[in-house]
Amino acid sequence: MRRWAGWLALAAFLAWCTWIVSPDPGRLLAGLPRLARWLAGAFPPDFSGPEDLLRRASETVAIASLGTAVAALLALPLAVLAARPVAPLPVLYHPVRALLDTLRGVDGFVFALILVAAVGLGPFAGMLGVALHSTGSIAKLWSEALETAELSPVEAALSAGASRAQAAAVVLVPETLPQTASAVLYVWEFNIRASTVLGVVGAGGLGQELKNAVDLLDFARVLAILLIIVAMVLAADRLSGALRRALL
Amino acid sequence: MSGGLRIEGLGVSLGGRAVLSDVTLAVSPGEVLAIEGESGAGKTTLLRAAAGLVPHSGTVRCGGGRPALVFQHHALARRLTARSNVLVGALGRIGFWRAALRLWPATERAFAAECLGRVGLEAVADRRADTLSGGQRQRVAIARALMQRAPVLLADEPVASLDPANAEAVLALLRDLARGGLAVVVSLHQPELARRHADRRLRLEKGRIVA
Repeated sequence: MRRWAGWLALAAFLAWCTWIVSPDPGRLLAGLPRLARWLAGAFPPDFSGPEDLLRRASETVAIASLGTAVAALLALPLAVLAARPVAPLPVLYHPVRALLDTLRGVDGFVFALILVAAVGLGPFAGMLGVALHSTGSIAKLWSEALETAELSPVEAALSAGASRAQAAAVVLVPETLPQTASAVLYVWEFNIRASTVLGVVGAGGLGQELKNAVDLLDFARVLAILLIIVAMVLAADRLSGALRRALL
Repeated sequence: MSGGLRIEGLGVSLGGRAVLSDVTLAVSPGEVLAIEGESGAGKTTLLRAAAGLVPHSGTVRCGGGRPALVFQHHALARRLTARSNVLVGALGRIGFWRAALRLWPATERAFAAECLGRVGLEAVADRRADTLSGGQRQRVAIARALMQRAPVLLADEPVASLDPANAEAVLALLRDLARGGLAVVVSLHQPELARRHADRRLRLEKGRIVA
């Protein structure tokens, strides 16, 4: 009976979503020939002006990498404050958790949209947006790694007269390195993908080039940019996978 | 008594329940005292309280410093080498940055090598703890306790997870360390091991010493 109620609730929810989205197969059918025409016009992909593409791709990698690095620095104290067994100030546990949820809840794209208005167009705004969102993600993943870490070696260090800070630096950090480094690599990989669209709001990177090409209906250029994005994402994926394996 | 351990009227309550009541004991340098008792009798709590890890009433006097505790399941950092785990025992003597940057003083490095030598593990000093056997890990844990330069060694069920041959070897090692001048308290739940390796035995039942 309860199982049926669950299925019924899911069906009702999806029906509500359908009512909101109002899918129109007729419009899709009408649009298909247009899509096909664009796709046909996209070949061969237009890689002309490779220096522009390279500069924009470099911006994307730089936004994602520097944003992740800044986020890791900001996340370190927040993760410690948000991990119950090691938190030095338990009174800050819930406020810090709420801050992390807020940072994670707002997409880097939205942060970048606001920051472009504050600091102007370009990759700096993009990097700040990525850093703010990623601080929430990295600190949450790190605090979970700290919360699930084996604490008996830390207790052994404390019983030998170590301070909490010493025990954390000498024992806890190296013990949780596979999880914490893996979290940073995961977020970096995600940021490479996410940074490819930041240009749409003027925050630099390949997205800027992509938006220009779509605005001009230059689908050969769009395809070239999409191919570069896929290559970058696959390369980041392979690299972070190899680094993760090396860290185990 | 200088260098030994004296515990008087020790009591521990956890969540309003008395886990240990009025425990009094003394161990002299050179002596091995075995604490026997079933699981849940309070052996671990007694040793943890004596090491200062559990709030307690009564007094714990350890001539010349605080006791060093060898944890039941060795409590080694798995990704650190045997040597680094032993050096953790020196953390009470060095500053934060030296420790965080692994800038161990030469004297401490030399003493760590000596401690590993005393437990017969110089050869595996640079191997990660998670690649060592159970017996080797327990010996590294003992070396870490020696690194504290404590006059008293408390060992909480140090042979609980070891096969009989390794158990004998670890207990013989503790006895040798006592002969070298340490006061050793070891909790065991195998009476025959306690008989063979301890100079004196006490039995703990429901948090009280009964014999």
